[in-house]
Amino acid sequence: MEQVIQVFVSGLLSGGIYALASVGLALIFGIAGLVNFAHGEYLMLAMYFAFWMYGIFSLDPYQSALINLALMAILGYLTYKFIMERVLDSSHSIQMLLTLGLSMVLQNLALMLWKADYRNTRIAMTTSTLDLGPLHLSTARVLAFVVAIAASVALYYFLQKTYTGAAMRAVAQNGKAAQLMGINLKKTYALTFVIGITLVGLAGLLITPIYPAFPTAGAPYGILCFIVVVIGGLSSIPGAIFGGLLIGLIESFAGYFIGPAFQQAAYFLLFILVLIFKPSGLFGKG
Amino acid sequence: MLKKLLNINNSVLWAIAFLSILVPFFLPNRYFQDIAVLTFLWAGLSSSWNFYSGYCGRLSIGHAAFLGIGAYSSTILYVNYGISPWIGMVIGGVFSALAALLIGGTTLRLKGTFFVLSTVAFAEILKTIAIVSKDLTAGSLGMMIPYDPSFANMIFQGKIPFAIITWAYMMIVIILCVRLEKSKLGYSLIAVGENQEAAENLGVNSTRVMLISYVVSAVLTSIGGTLFAQYIMFIEPMSLMSVGYSVNFILYAIAGGMGTAFGPMVGAFILVPVTNLLRGYLSFISGLHGFVLGMLLIIILLFRPDGILPQLKGFVRKLMNRNKNNEEKGE
Repeated sequence: MEQVIQVFVSGLLSGGIYALASVGLALIFGIAGLVNFAHGEYLMLAMYFAFWMYGIFSLDPYQSALINLALMAILGYLTYKFIMERVLDSSHSIQMLLTLGLSMVLQNLALMLWKADYRNTRIAMTTSTLDLGPLHLSTARVLAFVVAIAASVALYYFLQKTYTGAAMRAVAQNGKAAQLMGINLKKTYALTFVIGITLVGLAGLLITPIYPAFPTAGAPYGILCFIVVVIGGLSSIPGAIFGGLLIGLIESFAGYFIGPAFQQAAYFLLFILVLIFKPSGLFGKG
Repeated sequence: MLKKLLNINNSVLWAIAFLSILVPFFLPNRYFQDIAVLTFLWAGLSSSWNFYSGYCGRLSIGHAAFLGIGAYSSTILYVNYGISPWIGMVIGGVFSALAALLIGGTTLRLKGTFFVLSTVAFAEILKTIAIVSKDLTAGSLGMMIPYDPSFANMIFQGKIPFAIITWAYMMIVIILCVRLEKSKLGYSLIAVGENQEAAENLGVNSTRVMLISYVVSAVLTSIGGTLFAQYIMFIEPMSLMSVGYSVNFILYAIAGGMGTAFGPMVGAFILVPVTNLLRGYLSFISGLHGFVLGMLLIIILLFRPDGILPQLKGFVRKLMNRNKNNEEKGE
């Protein structure tokens, strides 16, 4: 029983990170309708940045967080300006292939610049644990979970309560109508993309004390985020949060009860089942 | 008039395809011959992908799954039971057809990104099966094919026999694509890709059309998978069945021109040698060839989304016109 609880909590903690990374994609794909297959690569870049800030300036990932996020926002804007803006009206296939090319470029750039070595960022929090009764939880993972969920919920309220957030949702529903109501379409797309990339960057820096950075570290997250967003019902932020937690739990339980090799296969299978039986997503409307 | 000129262009492409078999005979050493074999193989694989995704415009990023089924079927049968890879190739094709029926039956009605993601999901599940079935596949350790050259074993001394086999494979797939373009199936497939509702209103059974070409595409890919395994003589699931491998199929087709019979061949003829030479001569910069391929993909999509084949055709057409004008002036 204790072990089952440990597996549950461990899955939940990973799920928080998946939720945060996926909320970023839910903005970009679900709301702005832009396909971004390079989403995971920005997580990888944020991890490397956090690693180097620690290695060179001894700033741990939390201390360098603001610079890191600012850099991710700039990268996100440049990506939007030079690539995504040119294909706003193109088919999803073109956007997909384009961002697939982008992910190849970023992965291989990382390989050229920093080699394939695993770069571990070992700070004090990496090894310290929080003991809650029978549970032993890694402090870094608990912190990552708390920040991730807080950021995701904050984004939800931003979309619901602010003018800019309402503009984003309006563009998601009907771009032309939103434009007629005086919303600057390109600005809104740009902002949506930048926030999405910044959020996945935040997920990246939060896991830097836990997992090593390497050129393909972000690749599994890219596909995973799409799965979470589809399961969560595309444009629903709470859907993406619950979807992320669900995937984390499935991964954890499949790994414990069936075998580590099945962690990914389990959520891919769930994904196919959702596509067949409930294509609007588990948490989607209709 | 235009049609006639296009035919002339196609005959140029036919000539390139046929004459390309001569290239390996003139190459100085095994290193360059190896690149020639890989070029033919990838031209065939990319054309196989083109047979469904190119003409229908729905991208499969999971074709490495069929590559894996073809490679594993023949290798398991040969290594564990001593059955000739030629027979294994056929059996692999049958398995791939069944897998394609299952995958296609469940996912072909999905559109856009959903279809793409479902192909990735299926490929990942098959990869997991290959990793977990350790008794059959040796898991992530991979399988080695012992070197025992004979025709029945599909293992040869030197590169030339494999150059001929992979060239023949490429030619068969290209011929099938040319036939597809002129068949009712092909017209229906292109129509479904452009506007499914409209095609259905005109009486096209879109599910049937898509399923047939998807299965054919899978079987052709699977045959390439067997050739791949027999040529490299080592297979391993993590790379063979990865998204990275699946991307190669698409890349060459996009570069040359998706949905054209010769596009993937043109793309592979240019990109496979270039990337292999980059990898060979600049191997100290690991990641360079992937970086270059990714950049090319971005540049082609932003500036030449139809691939370079239409450009080439336009270029040849211009040349032809100029010659014609000169002739007319001469007269």
